[in-house]
Amino acid sequence: MGEAFGPGDLVRTSHEDPQHHTRVPRYARGAVGTVVEAHGDYPLPDDRSRGLPAEPQPVYTVRFAARDLFGEGDHAVTVDVWQHHLRRVDRSEQESDE
Amino acid sequence: MSRIHDVGGMQGFGPVEQEADEPPFHADWEAHVFAINRALIGRGVYNLDEFRDAIERMPPQEYLASSYYEKWLHAVTTLLVEKGVLSAREVADG
Amino acid sequence: MSSEHHGPAAAVAARVRHVEALLEQRGLVDATELDQALEAFLTSASPANGARLVARAWVDPGFRSRLLANANAALPELGLSMGGGLQEQRLKVVENTEHTHNVIVCTLCSCYPLSLLGPSPTWYKSESYRSRVVRTPREVLKEFGLVLDPSVEVTVWDSSAESRYMVLPRRPDATDGLEEEQLAALVTRNGLIGVAAV
Repeated sequence: MGEAFGPGDLVRTSHEDPQHHTRVPRYARGAVGTVVEAHGDYPLPDDRSRGLPAEPQPVYTVRFAARDLFGEGDHAVTVDVWQHHLRRVDRSEQESDE
Repeated sequence: MSRIHDVGGMQGFGPVEQEADEPPFHADWEAHVFAINRALIGRGVYNLDEFRDAIERMPPQEYLASSYYEKWLHAVTTLLVEKGVLSAREVADG
Repeated sequence: MSSEHHGPAAAVAARVRHVEALLEQRGLVDATELDQALEAFLTSASPANGARLVARAWVDPGFRSRLLANANAALPELGLSMGGGLQEQRLKVVENTEHTHNVIVCTLCSCYPLSLLGPSPTWYKSESYRSRVVRTPREVLKEFGLVLDPSVEVTVWDSSAESRYMVLPRRPDATDGLEEEQLAALVTRNGLIGVAAV
């Protein structure tokens, strides 16, 4: 399931393009963003869509810079991502991407 | 799975077409599809995530050529057959 | 609604009637219940609801704070809720300011706060809007007639989970003398989505 995050945490979304339904949009895959807030626990749609048991887990609003997602744009995009699809990023790790 | 529905950031789509004073449904059948889907989910025949998945499994060409509620109808009939509620033959014989 | 007696539309309509009849035979749907559910939905879901929330937030700073902090808890103050659909969803209200503008989308399908905004417009559900607004929001807003100053920061909220988003537009200038009802009448569905200023 992954670890819990708080506002301001740097996270990276999963690179995975799974063989089933998921709610991580392609454009946010593998991207580094900042957690805005946690907003409740919900069962993972990846599992619910396959009729698998799915315990509720935290969902986070994550803010991304458009430039990091598309290589252009001065705006921000937020995506709501299940904890399962997020990993913590160290600040040092993020700097090495630039 | 990133299928055709996953269009965020995709390029090539044209201007956003707006319809003035658009009605909630453009035909009775759309309203019925809306209501039938809600009823079936409410009854537990399938869940919302399965419904979305069924839309996403549409062949790309069909997805792009279909109107919004045509996509819903596709998903509803797909799930009714997959769940064994109706047979493919019954659905086709309409 | 246009004539359904000919062409592809007629074929789809017949298909739906056929499926509905089969489901009725199976006892899974009831025609009367379907009609009642539709009626209930169409009468209760309306952008007038979102507009009332906005107007109250404009005149009452305490309500505004509560709405922004926990929208689901604030809705009952105006007799509103996010229930009435398949499940009660979390509502998040995002505020436009002098320096920030918010716009809502569901790139993956069409998620949207139905009870507060009413049935969604076709454009919101279109591949064009869903693909373009996350990547070039200013360009899309221009198509709606909204030109933002370059200094205004834009945030696009992609409704990819169980939260539904609504924009709290800025109160227009020269509206000090207006009553709450009159203020609500200024708010449009497009403003609540974020493709219009109000």
